[in-house]
Amino acid sequence: MFRWKSLTAVVAVAALALTGCSASDTSSSGSGSDTLTLGVIVQNTTFEAANISFANESPYGQAVYDTLLKEDPTGKLLPSLATEWSYNDDNTVLTLTLRDDVKFTDGTAFNADAAAQNLTRFRDGTSPNASFLAALGTATAVGDTTVELTLTQPDPALLHYLSQNAGMQESPAAFGAADVQTNPVGSGPYILDTAKTVVGTSYEFTKNPDYWDPDSVHYDNLSIKVFADSTSMLNAIKGGQVNGAKLADNTNNAEVEAAGYTINPFELDWTGLIIFDRDGSMNPALADVRVRQALNYAIDTKAMLTAVGEGLGTPTTQIFPTTSAAYDEDLDSRYAFDPAEAKKLLAAAGYADGLTLEMPSTSLGNPAVFTLIQQQLKDVGITVNYTDTGTNFIADLLAPKYGVTWMQLQQDADWALINFELTPNASFNPTKYQDPKVDALVATIGTGTEDEADAALKELNAYIVEQAWFAPWYRVQSSYATDAKTTALMQAGNAYPYLWNITPAS
Amino acid sequence: MFRFILRRLLSGVVLLFLISTIAFTLLYLGGGDIARRILGQTASAETVALKSEQLGLNRPVLVQYGDWLAGAMRGDLGSSWFTGQLVTAGITSRLSVTLSLVIGAILLIAIISVALGVWAAIRGGWADKVVQAVSILGFAIPGFLIALGLVTLFALNLKWFKPTGYTAFTDSPSGWAASVTLPIVALAIGGIAGVAQQVRGSVVDALRQDYVRTLRSRGLSFNRVVFKHVLRNAGGPALAVLAVQFVGLLGGAVIVEQIFAIPGLGQVAVQATTQGDIPMVMGLVVATAAIVVIVNLLIDLLQGWLNPKVRLS
Repeated sequence: MFRWKSLTAVVAVAALALTGCSASDTSSSGSGSDTLTLGVIVQNTTFEAANISFANESPYGQAVYDTLLKEDPTGKLLPSLATEWSYNDDNTVLTLTLRDDVKFTDGTAFNADAAAQNLTRFRDGTSPNASFLAALGTATAVGDTTVELTLTQPDPALLHYLSQNAGMQESPAAFGAADVQTNPVGSGPYILDTAKTVVGTSYEFTKNPDYWDPDSVHYDNLSIKVFADSTSMLNAIKGGQVNGAKLADNTNNAEVEAAGYTINPFELDWTGLIIFDRDGSMNPALADVRVRQALNYAIDTKAMLTAVGEGLGTPTTQIFPTTSAAYDEDLDSRYAFDPAEAKKLLAAAGYADGLTLEMPSTSLGNPAVFTLIQQQLKDVGITVNYTDTGTNFIADLLAPKYGVTWMQLQQDADWALINFELTPNASFNPTKYQDPKVDALVATIGTGTEDEADAALKELNAYIVEQAWFAPWYRVQSSYATDAKTTALMQAGNAYPYLWNITPAS
Repeated sequence: MFRFILRRLLSGVVLLFLISTIAFTLLYLGGGDIARRILGQTASAETVALKSEQLGLNRPVLVQYGDWLAGAMRGDLGSSWFTGQLVTAGITSRLSVTLSLVIGAILLIAIISVALGVWAAIRGGWADKVVQAVSILGFAIPGFLIALGLVTLFALNLKWFKPTGYTAFTDSPSGWAASVTLPIVALAIGGIAGVAQQVRGSVVDALRQDYVRTLRSRGLSFNRVVFKHVLRNAGGPALAVLAVQFVGLLGGAVIVEQIFAIPGLGQVAVQATTQGDIPMVMGLVVATAAIVVIVNLLIDLLQGWLNPKVRLS
């Protein structure tokens, strides 16, 4: 028997749902002037300070945690929880003077002991950036407001690291709490509203009423929304649902601008080839600098920029960023596209009849890139054999299983970049290649005066370009979109503008 | 009836075990370097090794699966490797969202397809042809295209709805309706096409039966015969198709939730699967398999209620 009454009720409910549209509620869209809604492309891996990530995840951490130091958009150090800092003569002991008026949101007071514990935990944790504090020997509280960091070796980037995740301060009372990964307790400008947050999708924060630096907090509420899919991100932008958003790529820039948003460009990454096998242990040809230089000459970097980079970026053959003392504008065109020169160098190195390179490919990258590399190298007599590494791409690179690879890497601050890509223990020097000249220059950069370090940086950059450790193509433009109500200052060396630099447009 | 339910529940448990074993094996085979993927390219080899050890990834596969199974039987599905959230919390917080989409879509499908199917069967002629044509069209257009079209027209151009996001019913009923309407319509269109055809066929078949003629000859009005008897007989096959639709909609929700950035099971399924977040994916497998078992059981019971002959078989 059909239940007409219940069917009518169902129809009524459905009709209600359908007509509810006309009374469309926008009050909860979160784009009011008192709420800052940010679009991000990654979910938060963890809120636990000891394991926390940075870069694209920086707004999560910066919302709830204070850092010991801060940096302005150009990378200049500023005081934060630490008001003063100084090194001893040989740069192995760093003394920080801390604020005495800061409380964590659970009421625990912030002091030198808490700072010491946080630093040690970060060093020993599993943050992607745990190695930032690799040089930290001990962190000791000297009184309530002074913490002393003893280093096993000088680290010119330490102060910079303390302005990022390595310097984030969590309440010691929350250490080891069962929900520490999803319920952060910091002293930062906002408090995570765990009841309204959907982990992995949307994170809702309210202003910390007792924040010690209220002038740096520009909104009463903060909402961070994850858009793993670029179409939904674009729809949110077109619908005016976000105030600021990092765009996953530049393919929709025109539509974003047409929707009334401003594109704030910044160059963070370089892309091109990394030639890991500089000592030729996997392929003897790569030990010859002429072969490595030939790889630089063989690729039409401007065409690559147009074909796969949407024309948004700057051709270069160096890996240091323009903000670095190492940067030399002339090096941007050291290896202009010249296949004849590439052939000549290969012939001189004894590979006139050609050469075969084993390289990894992955569906995680743009497939056109791999095809273009293969075509252009073939034109100068280099045969490329690809192995599809799938999701193991980075693991296989760092194993190391390949002498040459396509890659895109961030342009960190100098010391970080050196220790990430150049030194024998650097992650992206998996063959642990060592060159006495590089070692000496790095030592000067680590221990010398500022002038000595700057001169050594310039020399180091010129040397590795000449030695063709890499074959960079161009610096990739990243884009950050802001709506008409919002202004954002891009941060040197970071994938996301710093939270306090995102402000209501005046 | 009790034994019937018990038997179905038991076979559901066996099914869950089999599915979870297969899912774990497949995930493990395609796993790759999970610790590296969690930490990213900036992490040092030592940190990656430490993370691997913390997650217990260096143990044999069988031990890892045994641990997962033992935990699952206690109701502990572990924590997501990529967000640290408890899997049970992650699923329960999203279940209501997906269910509200899928149930909404099923209701919409049931109402519209029954109306269309009956209309086409009774009227015949041009009405039948129109319904068939519309059905084929609805079937042929991929769900994601329909979703994108709906967003562009109704959210971005007309601004009647929000293009992305979800508002909980408890926060704002009208906001909830505005956030689920487009996804529900997007989900339902393909289903309406399929079920309307099925209903039409069943009603046409039923109308040809002898009992219809008998009833009509006893002076019952055509409407009374159709709505009281024909529909009841045609309802069984339609219900079976709806059950299949329900399972299909769970899959369709994956794409629709991505497009509308709705925090449902589909969205977390995409994230977790592409990342290789084994605990989360296993939790989702268990949850969806359980839903499917329950839905099939309910449909069987409903069919038994509609048609007593089913109970005997």
